[in-house]
Amino acid sequence: MRVTNTMLIRTMMLNLNSNLARMDKVQQQMATGKKIRVPSDDPIIAARALKFRTDVAEIEQFQKNTSDAMSWLEVTETALANMGDVLQRARELTVQASNGTLTDEDRQKIKAELGQLKQSIVEIGNTTYAGRYIFAGFKTDTAPFAVDGAGNLTYQGSAVNSAPTGQEIFYEISVGNRMQVNVEGYKLFWDGTDERIFKTFTDLEAAIDSGDQAQINSCIEKFDRDMNQLLTIRADVGGRMNYIELTENRLQDDYVNFTSLMSKNEDVDMAEVIMRLKSEENVYRASLSAGARIIQPTLVDFLR
Amino acid sequence: MRSSFFGLEIAARGLFTSQRALDITNHNINNVNTPGYSRQVGIQKASRPIGLFDGTGMIGTGSEITAVKRIRDDFLDYKYWSENVSFGEWETKKIIMEDMEAIFNEPSDSGFNKVLDEFFSALQELSKNPGSLQTRELVKSKGITVSKYFNSTAAQLQKIRSDNNYAFKIKVDEINSYAKQISNLNEQIYKSELDGNTANDLRDERTVLLDKLSKLINIQASEVVVGKLPNGKEDRRFQVTLNGSYLVNHFRAYELEYFEVNDATSPKDGMYDVRWKDSKNPVEPKGGELKGYMDVRDGRGINGEYKGVPYYIDRLNEFARNFAKAFNEGIFKDGNQYYAGHAGGVGLDGSTGIRFFSYEENGTAKSSAELMASGADMDSVYKNITAFNITLSSDILDANNGIYKIAAASSGGESENNENINQLLRLRHDTRMFDEGAPEDFMKSLVSNLGIDAQQAVRISENQDSIVQQIENRRLSVSGVSIDEEMANMVKYQHAYNAAAKMISVIDQIYDVTINRMGA
Repeated sequence: MRVTNTMLIRTMMLNLNSNLARMDKVQQQMATGKKIRVPSDDPIIAARALKFRTDVAEIEQFQKNTSDAMSWLEVTETALANMGDVLQRARELTVQASNGTLTDEDRQKIKAELGQLKQSIVEIGNTTYAGRYIFAGFKTDTAPFAVDGAGNLTYQGSAVNSAPTGQEIFYEISVGNRMQVNVEGYKLFWDGTDERIFKTFTDLEAAIDSGDQAQINSCIEKFDRDMNQLLTIRADVGGRMNYIELTENRLQDDYVNFTSLMSKNEDVDMAEVIMRLKSEENVYRASLSAGARIIQPTLVDFLR
Repeated sequence: MRSSFFGLEIAARGLFTSQRALDITNHNINNVNTPGYSRQVGIQKASRPIGLFDGTGMIGTGSEITAVKRIRDDFLDYKYWSENVSFGEWETKKIIMEDMEAIFNEPSDSGFNKVLDEFFSALQELSKNPGSLQTRELVKSKGITVSKYFNSTAAQLQKIRSDNNYAFKIKVDEINSYAKQISNLNEQIYKSELDGNTANDLRDERTVLLDKLSKLINIQASEVVVGKLPNGKEDRRFQVTLNGSYLVNHFRAYELEYFEVNDATSPKDGMYDVRWKDSKNPVEPKGGELKGYMDVRDGRGINGEYKGVPYYIDRLNEFARNFAKAFNEGIFKDGNQYYAGHAGGVGLDGSTGIRFFSYEENGTAKSSAELMASGADMDSVYKNITAFNITLSSDILDANNGIYKIAAASSGGESENNENINQLLRLRHDTRMFDEGAPEDFMKSLVSNLGIDAQQAVRISENQDSIVQQIENRRLSVSGVSIDEEMANMVKYQHAYNAAAKMISVIDQIYDVTINRMGA
């Protein structure tokens, strides 16, 4: 094949150009730390990058959700613990009151303390978290519990045993997985058939007033029963907190996994890129010096 | 008896021959860098011998250059043109697809996925605190961001279309200009070749024009013999055809013209198309930059069409429309209602039946009621929403009480009721929403589609580029000027010239003897 001058120069320019283009690409990878710049560089990496970004963003959101759910449940758990203490004290007082040797004055003192405990039960039921009543179902903007004129406990304005149902608040803590964060307050005082806690206090007060020793004794059992129910609810809350904790740990692992997958998918290996840049640079230099040698001399230089 | 000065005559021819050969060499060296130039060689022959009548036979009379030939392989030109057309088409596509990738700007921290991620995160926050005005404000502003993303992406894509349209128009002008120049050259070539010469340099110029033309549109070029001239030479005419019709026939160029299509049913509506100026017959480019622009500008990806800008606009419209419908009504693409949707929920102020997404007309967002009144049924209502005009309904946008109307609850008066917002959150992972799956899958498939198409354009154009370069190199190998070769020739002809001159001085000496020294 004849080789002509224009051919030589063209080929040299083409080679220089493609060397430069490769160097530009490696340089870009080094500057951005990313394997690809646009989807066409590698559509597979691009599609996976999109997926990982979404996954990571979601995990971050779920982490916020779990910690918010946890805070809500912690406040609930504290309130329930307080209520447990109140019941415990109330039971002790009831045991004292059941002692037949007490004077009426002693009984009235006990009754006065019971009255305060009864009041604090309502207050605990109206516990707030960040300004929201946690036992109020969906109506967290109003205090759920009150005592009506007849001295009965009301929940959202009606009798505890006719409370609205289905006001469970759910937070999403992982894809498609929702966790109830609230305890509907009326469930503390109504087990589906009987009124609890507040009613026991009312019954006890009446029994103390009438001096009905048998009634007072039966209230000890009632408090035991109420405490059991409270414990069941606390166990449920505790179980949920446990589950959220597990989820939090899992999300933490997922986050590490997905961010490292994301990095593996789209980030360059710096050492490798630096090596490649160095070698591309060498190739470029070599082609420059080869070109400089090839294009210069012609027969002209050797003719007299 | 030979003529006395016969020897001088032969030697003089030798001088002329070498001079002419040096001229040709000189011309070649001068044009070493002229684009499209083909090297020329002199066809050197022994000149007509003289018959001797004494039985000796014939005697040579020296040499002459009978023609100057252009060294060219027509087959390579033909190959160049046929590969260049495809290079032109795909290079154009590559450039535009790269622009589109930049518009979608994925994967990045500011692309669609980010926008959608943030919107759903805002909904998550609202779900945890539906009574809070701050979280409601967040949902509203992220909702606006989502719709603005669609608006600006669609507008930028539309801008690409109109830019392409302009380029298309310019390219039609270019084709006409090349055709005109070729026909002019045809005339000059024809006239200068009437006496049997070849107009080498003009032919080179014509080839360069054809090289350029072949990048713009699919052409066939050929020289046909139509008969004999009075002087016995072939009558050659040069023709360029486009889809079988003459673009250039000998001295005549047939112009193309662009015209704006006004046909709402055509994908080219509002854009330029091309036709023959005289006959008004349509021209369908089958390759070249013109086809590249058309494909990317008009391709909807239906029935094997190229997936051009309209395809991506269609997909964005589809997403905006179906996402709005799913979010507002809980109705998916198949027409079934799977959720209560935003309209099925209740706002903080007890309002219900409010649509979150709507569309704007003349810069004004339609209210929920206006949206619903805009069509006879759900399908026709949501047909109004496009990627260009999607926005939040004016009810939600209302600065005073819009955020109260965000329907997080399933019933009124319950500030912490998040049942409806939780349902809306489910949309994110509901794979029934699109054929491609969940909203993010749709976008993921769109972006990888774009990536694959752009990659294809890059690959084909790079392949075609190297094929064209390869052919160009082979052409240069045949037709290019080699300085070494010309230098060698120069030395060769110089020596021949010197030798012929030497012959003259030898003959001169002989005459000197016979004329001046004899009988003196």
